[in-house]
Amino acid sequence: MSQSATTDQKTMLTSTSGKAESLWADAWKRLKKNKASVVSGIFILIMCFIALFAKQIQPYPFDKQDITQILEGPSATHWLGTDNLGRDLLSRLIYGARMSMAVAIFTAFVSLFIGAVYGAISGWFGGKVDAIMMRSMDILYSIPALVLMILVMVAFGSVELFDNPELKAMTGIFLALSIVGWVSVARLVRGQVLQVKEMQYVEAAFAMGASQFGIVWKHIFPNILGPIIVTLTFQIPANVLFESFLSFIGLGLQPPFSSWGVLANEGWRSLRNYPHLIISPGLAIFMTMLAFNLFGDGLRDAFDPKLKNR
Amino acid sequence: MKKLIFSILSMALIVGCTKKQEKSEFGLDINDTIRVNFLTEPPSLDWSKSTDTTSSFVEINIMDGLAEFDFTKPNLSVKPALAESWEPSNGSKTWTFKLRQGVKWTDGVELEASHFVDGWERLLRPTTASEYGYYLFGVKNARKYNEGKLKDFSKVGVRAEDKYTLVVDLDTPRSYFPLMLTHHASYPIRKDVIAKHGEDTWADEGKIVTLGAYKLKKWEHDRIIHLERNEDYYGEKAKIKNVLVYMILEQSTAVGLVDTGKLDFQLEVPKSDIRVLRNREDYVNIHNLGIYYYGFNTKKAPYNDSRVRRAIAMAIDRKEIATVIGGGEKPTGNIIPPGLIGHDEEIGTKFDPAAAKALLAEAGYTDMTNFPKLTLNFNTNENHQLVAENVQAQLKRNLGVSLELKNEEWKVYLKTLRTNNFGIYRMGWVSDYPDPADFMSLMLSYSENNRSKWVNKKYDSLVEKAAAELDSDKRIEAYTQAQKILLEKDAPIVPLYVYSSNVLVSKRVKNFPINEMRQFPLKGASLVK
Amino acid sequence: MRKNYKVITGAVIVGSILLNIFFDLFEFEGFLPSAMLYVSLISGAIGATILIVKENLLVYVAKRGFEAFVTMFVIATATFLLLRFLPGGPFDTEKALPPEIKANVEAKYNLNAPLIEQYGLYISGLLRGDLGQSYKYIGRSVTEIIAQAMPATFKLGFYALLIAFIIGVPLGVIAAYKHNTWVDNLAMAGAISGVALPNFLVGAILILIFALYFRVLPAALWESPTHYILPVLTLGLRPISIIARLTRSSVLDVIRSDYIRTAWAKGLGEKVVLFKHVLRNSLIPVLSISGPLIANVMSGSFVIEVIFAVPGMGRHLVQSVNNRDYPLILGLTLLYSVVLIFANLIVDLLYSIVDPRIKLA
Repeated sequence: MSQSATTDQKTMLTSTSGKAESLWADAWKRLKKNKASVVSGIFILIMCFIALFAKQIQPYPFDKQDITQILEGPSATHWLGTDNLGRDLLSRLIYGARMSMAVAIFTAFVSLFIGAVYGAISGWFGGKVDAIMMRSMDILYSIPALVLMILVMVAFGSVELFDNPELKAMTGIFLALSIVGWVSVARLVRGQVLQVKEMQYVEAAFAMGASQFGIVWKHIFPNILGPIIVTLTFQIPANVLFESFLSFIGLGLQPPFSSWGVLANEGWRSLRNYPHLIISPGLAIFMTMLAFNLFGDGLRDAFDPKLKNR
Repeated sequence: MKKLIFSILSMALIVGCTKKQEKSEFGLDINDTIRVNFLTEPPSLDWSKSTDTTSSFVEINIMDGLAEFDFTKPNLSVKPALAESWEPSNGSKTWTFKLRQGVKWTDGVELEASHFVDGWERLLRPTTASEYGYYLFGVKNARKYNEGKLKDFSKVGVRAEDKYTLVVDLDTPRSYFPLMLTHHASYPIRKDVIAKHGEDTWADEGKIVTLGAYKLKKWEHDRIIHLERNEDYYGEKAKIKNVLVYMILEQSTAVGLVDTGKLDFQLEVPKSDIRVLRNREDYVNIHNLGIYYYGFNTKKAPYNDSRVRRAIAMAIDRKEIATVIGGGEKPTGNIIPPGLIGHDEEIGTKFDPAAAKALLAEAGYTDMTNFPKLTLNFNTNENHQLVAENVQAQLKRNLGVSLELKNEEWKVYLKTLRTNNFGIYRMGWVSDYPDPADFMSLMLSYSENNRSKWVNKKYDSLVEKAAAELDSDKRIEAYTQAQKILLEKDAPIVPLYVYSSNVLVSKRVKNFPINEMRQFPLKGASLVK
Repeated sequence: MRKNYKVITGAVIVGSILLNIFFDLFEFEGFLPSAMLYVSLISGAIGATILIVKENLLVYVAKRGFEAFVTMFVIATATFLLLRFLPGGPFDTEKALPPEIKANVEAKYNLNAPLIEQYGLYISGLLRGDLGQSYKYIGRSVTEIIAQAMPATFKLGFYALLIAFIIGVPLGVIAAYKHNTWVDNLAMAGAISGVALPNFLVGAILILIFALYFRVLPAALWESPTHYILPVLTLGLRPISIIARLTRSSVLDVIRSDYIRTAWAKGLGEKVVLFKHVLRNSLIPVLSISGPLIANVMSGSFVIEVIFAVPGMGRHLVQSVNNRDYPLILGLTLLYSVVLIFANLIVDLLYSIVDPRIKLA
């Protein structure tokens, strides 16, 4: 443990004391060399594109029913087949990308924001503030995530915060996932802040009369950004899975909207009889998980200073 | 390492496979054991308190009531069980039951009329807090006793005239009263057993005392219940010796177990696979005495206008809903399901988009763009969602009206229905006893189940009159008039379809009782060896 | 000497657990298996006591205990309040109850008393070790329900974690050892695939293949060791992948560190270095993740229990919320929290044994 801490300190010292950009430039260079990461990154970009323009790309409206075409297999008119209301599965899958990505990315950012602010305050002020904040977080951490999510979903699942029907349908899931997601980010950020705070250049900045906010923003923030981005790339796929889990226990997205979780939950029972219902959402989830994880691995390696000299 | 794991796994496999073959749970002989799945753990086997399907299945097999359904006849009729005969008098307001003599409880005590009085007293006693307390509210003064306004039970209309004679006084004449006595809420109870083992714990394994065709042998909570044939049963003894009741929640899992020969009966099949399963040999489909309906909050605009309600009702093609679900549901516009008197397909709104549009125009909505957005609340469930999404599409297509769907968790939903904050809602009603009175009293202005907040004095008086009417034709006439008010004139609710049971019964079971009441007494069933 | 008791208690615990697994898998019943369970528990307790006394950890453990107590109290209070905040009560049913009957039912469970009084009653019961009566399951206490459901969940979770370590650690070591070769890529692709699908789908696929197609394993139920295989595998997949990836990266870290290079340079045999130094040091981070892993397995067990019809606590956890069975939800939440807190304490203690550089006190 202490072994790696010292190396971290050394590199951070060198990187920030002169050329913060070079850290990023180096990371970018290393990332480009990792083929799996590049492919995954491109895949993620494509997914984001599909999510953004889902309404324009979908061949049929995702909620258009045709009861003469119930549970048809793949065909020329419906490439991936239809579901039990005769809706085009490809359109639902494309629209599902939109909802799934929105839920996953938005919640990841929310938990990131809350976690980063909480952790930074806790780590920066230290002492009693730190103790109280960490204890209360420990308590939250000791409540089983499942219970917390179910309770939040049930209590706030039908609260209407937004007018937009898409956002309205996702509100409960946002809340449930955010509330369990931010804790690990807070821990990470606090640890990083504590580490960086003790370093000479920060002390030097202090001595030179820099404001607290200025120090956090200028010196500490760039240093912890790397690990935070890495955490983000792992939190997003985790959220996709959590969302499908919520669908499984019947607390998923409001209909008629589809997400990959909703589709997977509608389809898994039909594995034997209507495999087309589950294969495409299953593959979509699988590929996306793989892409985010590989990309995350690549990013971590890219930001890992220990790899630099090798 | 992998080799090691593989060998451990395969060893476990071999050990597991060589053991217990052709023996089911508890080492029972498979040829004398039927294995059924009822999905959930029974909250209690105390028949005065339980309300769910699993409990009622077990109770019907370990207990008997005064009457039981005669499933050999096509129409639901009852035959005497613990009673030998009964006689109405005083214009069907008083009923006298002669009990069968020599019926023994499993602890050897003989059944007496006072056990019924004890059972009914306990069901109605306020401190018992039975959710089925209302079931006997037709008995004179029963409601007052349950509300705690009457302390003296001897004033309630049930008494043991002698050891084998039970006399019941009702508040109004009820020709269908014996039908009600098939239900587990009306079963006799042994006060001495309850006193000995405790109010809440007497119905456990090893304590419970019963008199039915089976008795409770073992109850491993959340997993399995073992019922064994009662060799001292007063009637014809059960043909199958053992019944294993499983509690497998996930329906697709249970279907897998049926397919691998581990289950003989599955109560529900997954809605998603019904189109494939319905072609199988072991699939059985039958209509239930239950109605699935949508209702309107009649205290909220625009649903407070009966023309709007009727227009929506007429814009829904019930056949399409039945097609979408695909489980053999029968579309109906009646609140009384087929099989009961008073059911008449002529009554109720018919699918007619043009007339619906005309009605909306009459109500002042000629331009659909200024029509308020409708909302439909329902509780989260695969089937409800399917119906809701289809109705949403139909209203859009047929009326150009957009319907917003709001699914809520079950208890949240029930809470919403107690507020004024909803428009259209979904509900269902499955009968406790096969009589139209059970369905028609749903929408009485003072009924707790009238979630539409709909009040119509004419309807109330017609339904009350019909309940007390002894002449069958006059009853039907009263119900027809009442249904016309409810479904054609005011339309606070829109019945959509008749529920259906989709079950799997293995081919090795003969005479498995499948009926509209969803009661499954197994004493007549047998196994092909 | 100082090390001896650690080794001995460790060996006794591991030995008795192994015996227990053996008895369980071959379905031995009776005195010996339960005796072995007690042996492992008691020796664990003795070992922990010696450790605490010898290493002057008494104050530390007492402090952690006190913290745990406060945490439990706060959790109980928060959950109690949160539950009352949920819309809908335990006795809202489809066939609406007439008000008088509902009043009777609520009176029976004190639900009509002021909230503060209900809370007081609950906490005072809790301090006496009474978790209350279930609202849904008439006549069954929460303690009883938990006691009946716990063995299956624990067994499921234990075996899942066991196979996770048995498969995950070697997989990670091999991948690190063959760093940047096809072996490494394959192992890591496999590990990522393990987390890439929702576990209900994985369960369904396994059932389809092994139970319905090849018919070599039971589709569901919890009767004999053959019934364990599919659920344990499904639940274990995620921990396997997490452990394998973590092991790989920490082994890589250690291999690259200076002291291992020194060991190599000194000419120590490759295998000796790998096992004696690398493995030991790289397992420390793996150990540290066991706390979160236990939480992960506990959350995941709900899905597995539903799909494989395992009579455990997971489905109670979800159903009790649906039923608004307040005492049961509270009881289960507290139990899960205790397990989490206790597991974290044990992990921290183990930590101090494995890595002497870490000082707890």
